[in-house]
Amino acid sequence: MNEMTLDQVLTKHHKDNAIVDVDEPTVKLVVFALGNDWFAFHGNHIREILAQVDVFFVPGCPPSIEGVINVRGDIESVIRPRELLGLPDSGAYTCSSVLLGRGGGVSSGVRVDRVIDVIDAPQSSVQPPPATLPERMRLLALGVVHFQEHLVIVLNIDTMFAEFSRGLG
Amino acid sequence: MAIDIKKYIVRFSEEARDHINKLSEGLSELATGNADKACIDNIFRSVHTIKGSSRMLKLTTITQTAHKLEDVMGALRDGSLKPTPQLAQLLCSATDTLSALVERLAEKPDGDSLPPADQALLKALTLAVSGLDVEAQHRSPADPASPPMPAELLCAAKPLSAAATPASSPGQAAPQAQPQAPAGPASALTPSAPSQPPLVGSVAAKPAPQGEAEPRLKPAETVRVRLGKLDELIKLMGEVVSSHASMRQRLKDIRALENELALSVAKPVAARLHRFVQDLRDDVQAQEVLKDELHDKMLVMRMLPLAIIFEPAAHLVREMARSVGKQVECVVKGSEIELDRQMIDKLSDPIIHLIRNAVDHGLETAETRAASGKPAQGKLTLSARQDGSWVVIDVADDGGGIPLEAVRSKAVKKGFVSQERAASLSDEESIDLVFLPGFSTSSIITDLSGRGVGMDVVKQCVIDDLRGTISVETCPLQGATFSLRLPLSLAVMRVVLVEAQGLAFGFTSQYVEELLRLPRESLLRVAEREAVIIRNEFVPVAHLAEMLGIPSRAGRPPGRAGRTPGVLLLVLRVRNEKIALMVDDLLDERDMVIKTLPEHMRNLPLMAGMVTTGGTELVSVLHAPGLIDLARRTAPRSDRAQHEERGRRSILVVDDSMNTREIEKDVLEANGYAVTLAEDGVDGLRKALDGDFDAVLTDVEMPNMDGFTLTARLRQEERYRNKPIVIITSREKEEDKRRGIQVGADAYIVKGDFAQSNLAETLRVLLG
Repeated sequence: MNEMTLDQVLTKHHKDNAIVDVDEPTVKLVVFALGNDWFAFHGNHIREILAQVDVFFVPGCPPSIEGVINVRGDIESVIRPRELLGLPDSGAYTCSSVLLGRGGGVSSGVRVDRVIDVIDAPQSSVQPPPATLPERMRLLALGVVHFQEHLVIVLNIDTMFAEFSRGLG
Repeated sequence: MAIDIKKYIVRFSEEARDHINKLSEGLSELATGNADKACIDNIFRSVHTIKGSSRMLKLTTITQTAHKLEDVMGALRDGSLKPTPQLAQLLCSATDTLSALVERLAEKPDGDSLPPADQALLKALTLAVSGLDVEAQHRSPADPASPPMPAELLCAAKPLSAAATPASSPGQAAPQAQPQAPAGPASALTPSAPSQPPLVGSVAAKPAPQGEAEPRLKPAETVRVRLGKLDELIKLMGEVVSSHASMRQRLKDIRALENELALSVAKPVAARLHRFVQDLRDDVQAQEVLKDELHDKMLVMRMLPLAIIFEPAAHLVREMARSVGKQVECVVKGSEIELDRQMIDKLSDPIIHLIRNAVDHGLETAETRAASGKPAQGKLTLSARQDGSWVVIDVADDGGGIPLEAVRSKAVKKGFVSQERAASLSDEESIDLVFLPGFSTSSIITDLSGRGVGMDVVKQCVIDDLRGTISVETCPLQGATFSLRLPLSLAVMRVVLVEAQGLAFGFTSQYVEELLRLPRESLLRVAEREAVIIRNEFVPVAHLAEMLGIPSRAGRPPGRAGRTPGVLLLVLRVRNEKIALMVDDLLDERDMVIKTLPEHMRNLPLMAGMVTTGGTELVSVLHAPGLIDLARRTAPRSDRAQHEERGRRSILVVDDSMNTREIEKDVLEANGYAVTLAEDGVDGLRKALDGDFDAVLTDVEMPNMDGFTLTARLRQEERYRNKPIVIITSREKEEDKRRGIQVGADAYIVKGDFAQSNLAETLRVLLG
């Protein structure tokens, strides 16, 4: 490094930049955690992230619905994604958030343990779901990305909500 | 019933203006030869609508003109007439006539003030239909010299209508030909310029108020708003109402704070605080008044008269009657009563099905009616009346009534009930059979609904979608009446809020019969479940919290509930069925805005919607019919199989309360008896004589024939002379007991000490 002239440094810098600057299409992802597993929804399907929201019990609901929330006067359901993904219930609901999403003709909240980040990931970084994923999850997965040394499964909210509302019918 | 016809006339003229505009547009297309089939269809429909609604309001002149116009359009539509410029002219002038009449009506909403129809125009239109030379026919009456003549003719031909409006008839005679006048000038105009200006001039020339000169420039009295926008506004209003509740809470809080601080702060500060609290209270109250008024007005905006359903329904009755070859008169009452638009939309299908049912099955043919001494023409009454914040809609026919025997045998044939069960059904229960899914199989497609509905769908729609109730009364030879009891609006309803395991739940008040606090001992254990006696009737008891499966972490710590003695029971009633729900506390009762659940959660059977309390808190409003269904399903069914081989003895249970009958039946069946039910003394006697029962259990107070009389009557029968008869009643008086023994009862059980073992034991002893 020491032997580099200023020019060389600038050239290298320019090259580095050039690599970064390639106009690759990106996708916005809302990354969240359910227990130790990380998942993501496409950002354009998520209308809002609600922290600290009171969920009200609704009698006679299937287990996939936790209850309902009051979003400025509109009633929205809150889905327990674990049921749909076939994950065990962690029981940890403290400081969890609700993602308000729309897909498959249904609008609903989704209970997540923790929202990690909202990122713009290059489209090429989203890889097809590995065959090792459990059957249930593979049906709902659009692909996987690596983020902060975690494998993040990108979920198809359309399929997920459609399946959810089928379960209600 | 005094109907404010004016209101409808105003509404009619608004609507007719729209249609006339459409007409004019369509006709100019027609005149330029650009009219396609859709265009002609549209014109036809507009004319048809004007005709129909004017007929409803007895605006004869408009009806006649529109009718002739409709004939011409009909001929154009089916191709028997070809559009010609002359014809277009004639149609234009007919439209202008209509327009003038409508404007006149808008000015003075009184049907009687309309001039009689312009016979020359009508004649021209009639001739046009037959394809004669429109031009020739039309010119002559349009001749400037002719107007007075048809007017005179009219007066002569229609003395009645002239006599009906004596004050105006001299003045009327002249203007009635006036709309005719522009026909001449109009034919000289280019077709694309409708002949409004001369027409307006001619109308203004009448001896009428001067202000009429420019009716077209008058601001419209109504504004059309998309329903979606109105709904948004009403939703927003609902939010204001809810947020006002939190304001009231704030007021309470500050008052509490004031009391707390009163002693510890300096006097002037306390005084200022006090003033602030007073001001705040006044503000909140003033705002509440405004808010309530605003809210009421807002909801009224979405209300529509029942006429929207009743009028086409009445028309449908006549059509249906004709198609099945019956003579039916349709009487409509109370069509001015207004309901929320949401309700009106949903009400149409059930009403159509009910009238269809009445015409098809209820009313007899003319011959049958004559044979039973009734007038040949059947009568179907569609009536509505307001009852508090409810509307009761009756669909009544004067036909043969529901043939319960046929209903029962059909139910057996379809496998809904067993033969022996059918025989034991009470009349009420038999009527209920028609509401079973799949009972009525005739799938009905009507022009209006376009889809088939059965009685089960009617019931479901009324109960689940309209949050109402349906009841049926039938009387042989006199007819049947289906009564729908509906809330005025689904948006706001009276809600009773109760608490169970720390959570609040709402019930819409139509299902709430009463709220009782009873000592814990008054709960009885009957056939594996709890019941309570409320005024001589067994009502099953359910724990609301258990029934709903409230998660333990959802609730707050119990409030006042623990401190008060006894149990608090909320008695719900749906049709004849009751259930007493054990709740912890009564929280509130007031009119509340019902919010709907998200689309995908609408099918939850237990939910009627949600209300907000205290600002943002959501409370479930429970659907009583759903709860009763749930209670019925989860009620522990005694395993009868083990008693099966005991050689079942048959018992007749006579009681006018359905709940009591059902509970006694459960007790007895749990003990291995076969049970037949009867709903009063007469029914009991009939069934007792038809069958051969090992024992009879009867209530005392019942309609038609009481238990004492029934007992005495049965004792006269050879078969029942020695059979055990047990009187079960809430009458505890000694003299009643004595009377029971006198008439020949073997045992007298007071409902208060009624327990399963007691009854079963008594029977075992009596039956040996």
